Amino acid sequence: MKKDVAIIIPVYNEAAVVGKVIKSVLKHYDYVVCINDGSKDNSSLEIAKTGAYLIEHPINMGQGAALQTGIEFARQLPVKYFVTFDADGQHKIEDVQTMLKEIRTGEYDIILGSRFLGSTIGLKKSKRFILKMAIHFTNITSGLRLTDTHNGLRVFNRTVAKGMQITLSDMAHASEILEIISEKKFKYKEIPVTIEYTEYSQSKGQSIINAVNIGFDTLLRKLSK
Amino acid sequence: MILIQVIVTIIALGIVLFGLVGRQTHATRAWKKILLAIFAMTMVVAVLLPDTTTQVAHVLGVGRGADLLLYMLTLAFIGYVINNYLHQQSEKDTVHRLARKVALLDAYSRYNMKEKLGDEAESKK
Repeated sequence: MKKDVAIIIPVYNEAAVVGKVIKSVLKHYDYVVCINDGSKDNSSLEIAKTGAYLIEHPINMGQGAALQTGIEFARQLPVKYFVTFDADGQHKIEDVQTMLKEIRTGEYDIILGSRFLGSTIGLKKSKRFILKMAIHFTNITSGLRLTDTHNGLRVFNRTVAKGMQITLSDMAHASEILEIISEKKFKYKEIPVTIEYTEYSQSKGQSIINAVNIGFDTLLRKLSK
Repeated sequence: MILIQVIVTIIALGIVLFGLVGRQTHATRAWKKILLAIFAMTMVVAVLLPDTTTQVAHVLGVGRGADLLLYMLTLAFIGYVINNYLHQQSEKDTVHRLARKVALLDAYSRYNMKEKLGDEAESKK
């Protein structure tokens, strides 16, 4: 069962942790696809040491663009399921296993992780507030009903992988993915997951003010379609 | 509402909708040039015949010609900013597609993979 899953990990300046994260994933799954999104540190070297597939963006293009590259590469691999996973170690491999079990039933096209159905460790109040606002906003723009709209942990089948065409390169891609799900009428389900906010992931995470950019780009995209 | 308020509101909305919904066709690009030409000519007239701006301003319900110019300039600027932002986004999208292709081709050659199109690896398993 390890061979029919591709784990897609976008990496940007994560040299400190990415090696460890990849190794722990490789223990469970053979196909790990890392996209080095023009990191300025040694991320590339750290990935190369692990034996995961390494795709090098010549320039920094943002997480959304990196995911799209990863998905396009993984489509060439003989796998049935695709997983998007964060490089900073905030996701748990056990959650991936639960989500895979769910998608193997064949009832759904895509399984989304939700930290608000599950649990969060070390999430700051201010960040929780912004996330909740983002959830309301995204539910309105995408027309889905979700409890967590900006979770990097997703599991989907080949139909979804083929339909995915992410154009918003930065963090606004999370909303865009949901709009794609809604447009193409993919069957989706949310599953509780645990997200661990370490000091490291906090320092790397999204700043609250960036929500303004995400909102603006999402609305502009909606209008210009 | 005085005339100028109606006009400015309509033009502002028009700019936003035109910029966002309008596709880059030959017609829209031509209209942009025509608008630019009109804008430039208006400015020349405003310099050569300073009184005309005040007269036009009075007709529209604006106190001074200078105020009218300011409104027009602001609208033109907003239009420019939106147009420029959208243009930049589409350029960025093109560059990203190109860079992605480069990254993928490089990876395929390193891993001795041949890019399969269409059904891709599905049939292989």
